[in-house]
Amino acid sequence: MKHDIYEPNKYLKLGIRAWPFMVEELWNTRELVWRLFVRNFSVRYKQSLLGYAWAVVLPLIAIGTFVLLKKAGIVDIGPTAAPYAVFALVGLSVYQLFSSGLSSGCGALVEAGDMIAKVNFPREVLVLAAAASAVFEFMVKGVLIALACGVFHFMPSPVGALLFCAAVIPLIFFTLGLMFFFSLANAVFRDVAQVVSIGSTFLLLLTPVLYPASDKWNLLFALNPLTALVDGPRDLFITGTMRDPTGYCVSAILGALIFLMGWRLFHMVETKIPERL
Amino acid sequence: MSIVLKADNAGKKFSRTLRQMMFYGAHDMIAGACGCLPQNEVLRPGEFWAVNGVNFELKRGESLGIIGPNGSGKTTLLRMLNGIFMPDAGRIEVYGKVGGLIHAGAGFHPMLTGRENIYINGSILGMTRKEIDRKFDTIVGFADIGDFLDSPVRQYSSGMYVRLGFAVAVHSDPDILLIDEVLAVGDRDFSLKCYQKMQEIREQGATTVLVSHNEYVIRERSQRALYLRAGRPVFMGPSDAAISLYIKDDLQLKARHVRDQKTADTPLKMNKKAEISGFRFFDTEGRDIASVITGGVLRAEISYSAVKPVFKPVFSVNFYTDNGLVYGANNAYENVILPDLQTGKGKLLLTLPQFHLPTDTYYVSVMIAEENPGDLVDCQHFAYTLVVERAANARGSLKLPTAWALEG
Repeated sequence: MKHDIYEPNKYLKLGIRAWPFMVEELWNTRELVWRLFVRNFSVRYKQSLLGYAWAVVLPLIAIGTFVLLKKAGIVDIGPTAAPYAVFALVGLSVYQLFSSGLSSGCGALVEAGDMIAKVNFPREVLVLAAAASAVFEFMVKGVLIALACGVFHFMPSPVGALLFCAAVIPLIFFTLGLMFFFSLANAVFRDVAQVVSIGSTFLLLLTPVLYPASDKWNLLFALNPLTALVDGPRDLFITGTMRDPTGYCVSAILGALIFLMGWRLFHMVETKIPERL
Repeated sequence: MSIVLKADNAGKKFSRTLRQMMFYGAHDMIAGACGCLPQNEVLRPGEFWAVNGVNFELKRGESLGIIGPNGSGKTTLLRMLNGIFMPDAGRIEVYGKVGGLIHAGAGFHPMLTGRENIYINGSILGMTRKEIDRKFDTIVGFADIGDFLDSPVRQYSSGMYVRLGFAVAVHSDPDILLIDEVLAVGDRDFSLKCYQKMQEIREQGATTVLVSHNEYVIRERSQRALYLRAGRPVFMGPSDAAISLYIKDDLQLKARHVRDQKTADTPLKMNKKAEISGFRFFDTEGRDIASVITGGVLRAEISYSAVKPVFKPVFSVNFYTDNGLVYGANNAYENVILPDLQTGKGKLLLTLPQFHLPTDTYYVSVMIAEENPGDLVDCQHFAYTLVVERAANARGSLKLPTAWALEG
């Protein structure tokens, strides 16, 4: 029979022995994560005319603006390996996996406040379901990328295109780790969502997403783990090879560490969440 | 039989303001993340214990009622038992699956249909897809939502909403069922159905914990009750005893409140020739008493000290409830003429051989007046209380002498 003990600082006392519990809990909640993902999906779909088409509206506008600015000669982006629209679209899709994950992660706990206060269930499912939504949006954008390739007569490297899908996985883990962290922070200080939203807009401009990485800003790009995590997969997609595999590997390891830290942190303090909402 | 639910000195603290809660929350989380254990059992400024020092053990199939005034920590305790709030002190042990009817329908999404919500809510409550598939028809049947199954739940009436929530929760096969007043929402028909279902679950060996303001529900549904006041357990034991203690405390607090109010807004003119120096109710052995059984003998003693003689004194002892004067004992109305009071101290004894006031708590005023109408000597308004208790073998709040005869 199931036996639960509730006492102060229960998960803190466990220390390293908490990991098996965490893995077990994660495995047991897969069905609930799926349900909540489907729920988020169908709610969003039901409440709007365009539904998931909204996922492609923002990138289209952003890229359209940059294409215009480039044509008018206002910004000088320099040569890109693929037609600019394809280049920017791939980069932006990958980047938005990060940014939309982060913004939905911020609200994950706060929006479910009523449920958290009244039902006992593993709270990480809310964050995982939010991440699943971001991944799904990314897949929707995949269709858009394919369309763009057709329109601009660009043939991506076939092996690279397959590897591209695998290469975004470290970014997903990196994002998930931050989502765990920010969802908690936002449950305590609601300011966090604002900061994250402003931050991810600026980060878009400071990361080589809509323009190729240049040597001028080398240090800035090198310190930004998103550079490698966005540019690496895009390189694979367009050329089939990666320009900076070392940077990518370092960033991927960093992503994994952030994920493990965020997950553990979430697990340690999630019991304090219901009373803070 | 084995213990399935155990609270061991369990306590939970909250902060009074949102701002403090934010900073304490951040502090606790950071401290927790850094690996140092927060000092949970110490109150920081602005914190208070919402629940404190609760102890009980429940065996399989037992049922516990929780009673107490609003804000006494009943719902907080229930959430602690459900594992939503972690205790800050003590510990809680739970054997088996807990089904919380803390708020039926929590997690329902208003935009989704009843069908979709059944699946989501079921998963949240820990049911697998297969389990929900299997029980789907029973759940729908129990909730009795008819054609609304495929309508968004925001179109449901509040009764339907709760019914569906309750239906999903009770079909999750809990070993321990926690119920918080939800049954008050449905109509008569549905609450009857809920009680039957609860009974059924209990007969299958489930343990129930029930929070209610309805004393009849507690009396009927649980053998034992825990009476909480300001987060602290006042009494834990048979439901009847817990409930009568709760009611008594409640009335006494109310009486004190009324007295404070009434003395503040009625200044009276008194000539103060004599002063009431003491008043008490007492029993056959002369001991002070605070309660009497309805229909029994009531004895009262008024002590006075007179500075001037009082001519043709009138003593009165009045019994009030919230609704006003119920009875006043007064020697002038009984045509009893008492001798004039001389200067000095004295006592007056009043005996009511059959005190037939109904079960309640009364506020008592004591007065001395002079025959000359309107000349009040001294008065203690609402200064005392008397609890009249239910008599043994009595139905209702009175016990009257009866005579029976069969003719024919």
